Amino acid sequence: MNTKLSAQKTGLGLGPRPQLAAWVHHHRQAAADSLQKMLMEPIATLLTLVAVGIALALPAALWLLLDNASAVASRVEAPTRLSLLLDDDSSFEAAERFADTLATRVDIAAVSVLHRDEALVLFATDTGLDSLLQGLQDNPLPHTLLVTPAVDVGTEQLEALADFLGGRPEVDEVVLDTRWIARLDTTIALVRQLVVGTGALMILGAILILANTIRLAIEARRDEIVVIKLIGGGDGFARRPFLYTGLWAGIGGGLLGALLVLGLFLFVSAPARSLLALYDSDFTLQGLGLVGVIRLTLMGGAIGLLSAAQAVTLHLRRIEPR
Amino acid sequence: MIEFDRVNKRFEHHDALRDISLTIDAGEMVFLTGHSGAGKSTFLRLLMLLERASSGTLTVNGRDISKVGRRGIARYRREFGIVFQDHQLLFDRSVYDNVALPLEISGFSQRDIERRVRAALDKVGLLDRENAQPALLSGGEQQRVGIARAVVARPKILLADEPTGNLDPQLSAEIMSLFEAFNRVGVTVVIASHDLALISRLRHRIITLKGGRLVGGGGQG
Ligand SMILES: Nc1ncnc2c1ncn2[C@@H]1O[C@H](COP(=O)(O)OP(=O)(O)O)[C@@H](O)[C@H]1O
Ligand SMILES: [Mg+2]
Repeated sequence: MNTKLSAQKTGLGLGPRPQLAAWVHHHRQAAADSLQKMLMEPIATLLTLVAVGIALALPAALWLLLDNASAVASRVEAPTRLSLLLDDDSSFEAAERFADTLATRVDIAAVSVLHRDEALVLFATDTGLDSLLQGLQDNPLPHTLLVTPAVDVGTEQLEALADFLGGRPEVDEVVLDTRWIARLDTTIALVRQLVVGTGALMILGAILILANTIRLAIEARRDEIVVIKLIGGGDGFARRPFLYTGLWAGIGGGLLGALLVLGLFLFVSAPARSLLALYDSDFTLQGLGLVGVIRLTLMGGAIGLLSAAQAVTLHLRRIEPR
Repeated sequence: MIEFDRVNKRFEHHDALRDISLTIDAGEMVFLTGHSGAGKSTFLRLLMLLERASSGTLTVNGRDISKVGRRGIARYRREFGIVFQDHQLLFDRSVYDNVALPLEISGFSQRDIERRVRAALDKVGLLDRENAQPALLSGGEQQRVGIARAVVARPKILLADEPTGNLDPQLSAEIMSLFEAFNRVGVTVVIASHDLALISRLRHRIITLKGGRLVGGGGQG
């Protein structure tokens, strides 16, 4: 056996000097090792990626759907209606005559007359203020004309029409009926909120899946962690491979999620196109796009890193040399 | 270099070490002996901060190690080379990678790592086995890999807990002469061993523990 120590000067060697190059090298090595370990267990890895992918794909797909829906909604021609509140003292007959004159205009498709009593009933049922109105002595509402503009009337012409009508002596006030737009906007906002809520839950699920993957990885490498700690490995050194495992799993999951969204998009695009064709729209469906794919992948990576950091803080400390 | 001053270590209902006071000088080689349960491992574990003393002061390199906090432990342990009875090698990587681990932890460059790992393997006579898997080596070879890993970062202090516990007398003697060789170049060596026949043949101070008490070798060698 060779027990000569010629090469080594003394035991009093140079202290460790952290070098950037060495640090970078260890990072690269940890990154490569983690990836290799994951590839050595393809089934377990694939299961994790699929679970994370689905958890990310679902909110992403819903979000995409919503983007398309609101884009379509903004392009739909507004079937706007104008309500003309007439002067208090104009009679019902005068109102009918006024309606007939208006109906002859080219920019008006139809005019109907709403008697003040009918208007009150409608108002009461619309607002649910029945009891309040029953207490009223007089009907405070005037007769009302409901004016439907012609289909080809654009926003500017509509405003001009509203101005013209407002200037007429018979008219007390012009009300642009935009309730349906408000309704649509509220609905979209509601659905968006739902998507955000379920998305948050799905992402939480992804974090739990990833954190569990890291926990298993930590368990599998318990001996290694013990030895590293025994011979003076710091937290950073012990933590590094697991952070990379999380990063890779997250990026893989994000990428797979993006692929799922793309697949889903292809799957629904044909029926969606025929639906749009029914509305005679030249609107083109918005896909995820390269930016969307990159964004989802980066998001996956960030979630992976976050989950790994959480799991590592929780579990690595518990593994101490005995 | 190492100083125990009235050190006690108490586990729930049991004193593993009682009132230990002694000094080990820089460059010394000492054996720590006693029956099983005498407190040898506890002695070494206190030095490695795997346990904390219940009372008393432990000074290493002039520093009271009770002042080393959780975050400082890793850096503190790097001051030692440590050899275990069961060598604690990682079986999922080569001999070379096992020996390189302390250097990677300390952030040495790849070139330095290569040079030092080869030098350490050369010293323990395993240069030709650097690519071998540790599981396929004999017990004596595994222990030599463990020693190479302990000395590769050139620590000033080498601690070994029953390093020959699983080896036959011939291999044990070889391992001990390896430790002596490191001691000759200035490394302070502390070896726990209950193999009195072996260690009394070597001419070094023998610290004897009995039931956690110091019963011999407490004075200077
Ligand atoms: N973690 C522990 N908890 C309780 N008792 C322990 C622990 N570690 C060691 N001991 C006890 O301390 C005594 C000394 O143990 P040890 O230092 O391992 O002795 P040796 O290494 O000389 O055989 C023994 O009685 C042992 O049972
Ligand atoms: Mg022991």
